[in-house]
Amino acid sequence: MTSRSENTYMMPANNYGKLAIVIALIGILLSTFGFVKDPGQFFHSYLVAYVFWVTISLGALFFLLMHHVTGAFWSVSLRHVVESIVATIPLMAILWIPIGFGIHDLYHWSHESVMASDKLLAAKAPYLNTTFFVIRTLIYFIIWGFISYKLRSLSKRTKSNNDILSMRKVSAVGTVFYALTVSFAMFDWLMSLDPHWYSTIYGVYLFGGAYLNGIAMVILVIAALKSLNLLTTEVTSEHYQDLGKLLFGFVVFWAYISASQYFLIWYGNIPEETIWFKRRWEGTWKAFSLSMIAVGFIVPFFALMFRAAKRNLVFLSSICLLLFVAHWMDMYWNVMPGFHRGNVSLSWIDLSTMVALGGLFFWTVWRSLASRSLIPLNDPYLNKSISHKNF
Amino acid sequence: MGNPVNMTNHKPKQSADSSAGAIIEETPLIAGNHTFSSITEKISGVIEGPTPKMWWVLFSFSVSLLLILVGSVGFLIWEGTGIWGLNSPVGWGWAIVNFVFWVGIGHAGTLISAVLHLFRQKWRTSINRFAEAMTIFAVICALLFPTIHVGRIWVLYWFFPIPNQMSMWPNFRSPLLWDVFAVSIYFTVSLLFWYVGLVPDIATLRDRAKTRGKKIIYGILSLGWRGANRHWRHYELGYLILAGLSTPLVLSVHSVVSTDFATSIIPGWHTTIFPPYFVAGAIFSGFAMVMTLAIIARKAFGMEEFITVNHLEKMAKIIMVTGLMVGYAYSIEFFIAWYSGNDYERFTFINRALGPYAWAYWIMVSCNVIIPQFFWSKKLRTNVTVLFILSIFVNIGMWFERFVIITSSLSRDYLPSSWDYYSPSIWDIATFVGSFGLFFTLFLLFLRFLPMISMAEVKGVLPQADPHHPMYQKSGEAHENK
Amino acid sequence: MKTNELTYGVLAEFSNPADLMHGAEKMRDEGFKHFDCHSPFPIHGMDQAMGIKRSVLGYIVFVFGLIGAVCGFALQAWVHTKAYPLTFAGKPYFSWQAFIIVTFGLMVLAGAFAAVLGLFHLSKLPKFFDGLFYSKRFGKFSDDGFFISVDSKDLKFHDEETSRFLESIGGTNIEVIRGE
Repeated sequence: MTSRSENTYMMPANNYGKLAIVIALIGILLSTFGFVKDPGQFFHSYLVAYVFWVTISLGALFFLLMHHVTGAFWSVSLRHVVESIVATIPLMAILWIPIGFGIHDLYHWSHESVMASDKLLAAKAPYLNTTFFVIRTLIYFIIWGFISYKLRSLSKRTKSNNDILSMRKVSAVGTVFYALTVSFAMFDWLMSLDPHWYSTIYGVYLFGGAYLNGIAMVILVIAALKSLNLLTTEVTSEHYQDLGKLLFGFVVFWAYISASQYFLIWYGNIPEETIWFKRRWEGTWKAFSLSMIAVGFIVPFFALMFRAAKRNLVFLSSICLLLFVAHWMDMYWNVMPGFHRGNVSLSWIDLSTMVALGGLFFWTVWRSLASRSLIPLNDPYLNKSISHKNF
Repeated sequence: MGNPVNMTNHKPKQSADSSAGAIIEETPLIAGNHTFSSITEKISGVIEGPTPKMWWVLFSFSVSLLLILVGSVGFLIWEGTGIWGLNSPVGWGWAIVNFVFWVGIGHAGTLISAVLHLFRQKWRTSINRFAEAMTIFAVICALLFPTIHVGRIWVLYWFFPIPNQMSMWPNFRSPLLWDVFAVSIYFTVSLLFWYVGLVPDIATLRDRAKTRGKKIIYGILSLGWRGANRHWRHYELGYLILAGLSTPLVLSVHSVVSTDFATSIIPGWHTTIFPPYFVAGAIFSGFAMVMTLAIIARKAFGMEEFITVNHLEKMAKIIMVTGLMVGYAYSIEFFIAWYSGNDYERFTFINRALGPYAWAYWIMVSCNVIIPQFFWSKKLRTNVTVLFILSIFVNIGMWFERFVIITSSLSRDYLPSSWDYYSPSIWDIATFVGSFGLFFTLFLLFLRFLPMISMAEVKGVLPQADPHHPMYQKSGEAHENK
Repeated sequence: MKTNELTYGVLAEFSNPADLMHGAEKMRDEGFKHFDCHSPFPIHGMDQAMGIKRSVLGYIVFVFGLIGAVCGFALQAWVHTKAYPLTFAGKPYFSWQAFIIVTFGLMVLAGAFAAVLGLFHLSKLPKFFDGLFYSKRFGKFSDDGFFISVDSKDLKFHDEETSRFLESIGGTNIEVIRGE
């Protein structure tokens, strides 16, 4: 067994973190200006950016949970990278606060007069009310924060089988809580934007996009580290191929779930349900919806089908960036049609909020990566992971 | 059933000390000190040896059940679907429940062969052969029910796009037609997959055959297989491609079955979570059935070294995970029914839990959600007796799930004046019981005439099958090319 | 008697997968083209050891899958817009959404048949007669035997020299396969 020293695996000083924070500050400045100018637009843009980034942290959290639950050894050398993305969860909890302030701009049901005058909404009042909404969000973040804190602190001292088994136990129970909290978070933050509409698959649908883009983020962070000549031998094209396979699988999963939702509602043709898709099929929204299918499914599906594509990091990262575009479109498509009825209407605030949150996101990831060795040096499976091969 | 020999397989796990650097020793996939040759002897021996008396007992029993099926289907065709317990609101009764039940069971085999193959789960090699066989027989049972449910089975060919003198074409926009395509394609592809897997093993039987008759039959079926690398290289890729094609197929089949219900506008049926929820339920029930059969077969044929407790434990984990997914779907459905604010949706779910079919609902919840929770305990999920009993409960629970969905929604829909309670007639019960006869007859024939475990694949997971294994390093010089 | 006999090739036995792979590498380096390794199960890395390329089966399946999908979709579109247009559930005649499932099914069906027929075709199977079946020992390949066979049509083939070469690389029970 080769011994690896801690120092050689620490990230050397670089400018990526600084760059991220500068970009974040510019984004925050512009977004603040946006907020003053047009609060309605600001809150909607902010929500799009927020769900874009929070689903990526949650996707990475799921990646980590699955890594432990399945006892996968191939991803051991990626574990610290994944954990550094998961480390953005506390940041996401803080970044939720503006949504709490924008509740009246975003959520129709938060106006008591509306609720009182609508029989259907009145029936939902025990669930859809501001106090309970905030309490639920708090619960979600406590659960996610607890799982990620627990896994991270166990990961720090991973030396033996017992540590691995205790991470597995935490993850097994954690997955159950994860499934429920993520679904309800998506019902709350996104589905209730149109309080009349409901769909049982909605949680699974957003989870699919979250996990897919969590994997994409793992690949992109690796690409960033590789650009600094790090992890040259520890993460190989064998790992890319496995990540690529997962990516391919979840491109299909996301498409399958969103198609099921669309298809059953289209076929059933009940007005109270079809209205949601009708809004996304009017004016320029129709072109937007169709291009989302192309960007999010057709192109990545054919691109990731081939073995060579999955083994080339440059190609794989460009597909990941494309998937980010699709994910942003997906979030935009979920949030905006209720606000911009009839036609897509892009605003510069959409961009500034994305940049602000993205900068903070990367800054947190980078700080977390710099805080310890890039790979779990004491993990007994590390060598097995590094030398692993696809057949 | 707890065989002491099996229990020793678990010893290595504990013996690995928890000092730094030690990895969890992987339990060997195949227990005992098997050689390539002893595997051939053991598995082919089952087919070549004399027929056990017990086999005849079980076979006669299964054939008797099969005769019940033949009788009840014969009477159905003669008399019409009026002999069943169907009534005005409940136009779909046990026949469709049984259809969905059997298709669901038919999901595990291809899942084990295809999905676990893609995920490099080598433990599948011990169970995939008979799980696939089970799949095929379960799908045959499943196909039977919609076939006889159409009433006039002599015009069954109307389902297929065959040019005819009436210039009539099937309705491709109907979920029932998608079923015809999905299930029959699934059957065909599973059969192809199974046959491809069998070819090398049939070649073994050919090479061992003593009589001329057997030589010819096995010779034809094995297509002249010579185990050449110029065969294997296409074979391996072909198998991988079939796995890649079957994976979306197996997930699509139960999704299509779910559209039979979900495309309608009946409360409790029309809900968007149905496709993935049905798929999870299918895997859940399929693995439970594989578990039940595996435990019987390993005991009956002394295959404990191939199907170890380790294998059973892994299946138990899959049952638990899919059971949790099913539980998730039940809860989300219930919550969204309330959240919708729609009176009909709310009523349907309250009616399920508290109405006339509450007994069935609670059987379903207990068997599918509560029982799998026992598998959190390692002690229970490595106890063969417990596994056997719990797997049967899951089978029962999943039958009731389909019964609850179909019957409770139909019996009380929008118009209270048309509500009615549904109960099966004797012919419903006879047909269902008889379908087990068909299933077990086919399964017993398979156990008697074909290798129940894939010899070629099990040999491939032995440590000595790997040419780069350390045991070969000392003798020869190092490889130049890896 | 001997004049009627044909020489099909030479067969040599090896004791385990590792020796078989070493043997294959040496056969490749010696320049043999028409030789093959026989084993009870597939051995990873053997293609490279023998110097043969990755199977082309994937492309065949891709093409047939595509044909299956296109034909499946065309059939449904034609039936519902031209051959037998029926209004049903208020849906348009050309309801592409509803055609996806059968299209997908036919794609998989065509792909699966292409995979199975293709893999046997590329392996030159079924082939019920082969010179190797004359050998008494060859039947062991499906149990626990590892063999290298050299076909007599290989340009480098010479029954005695090839036998000697096989022996030098570790082969045992060398057998020149002859039959009518």
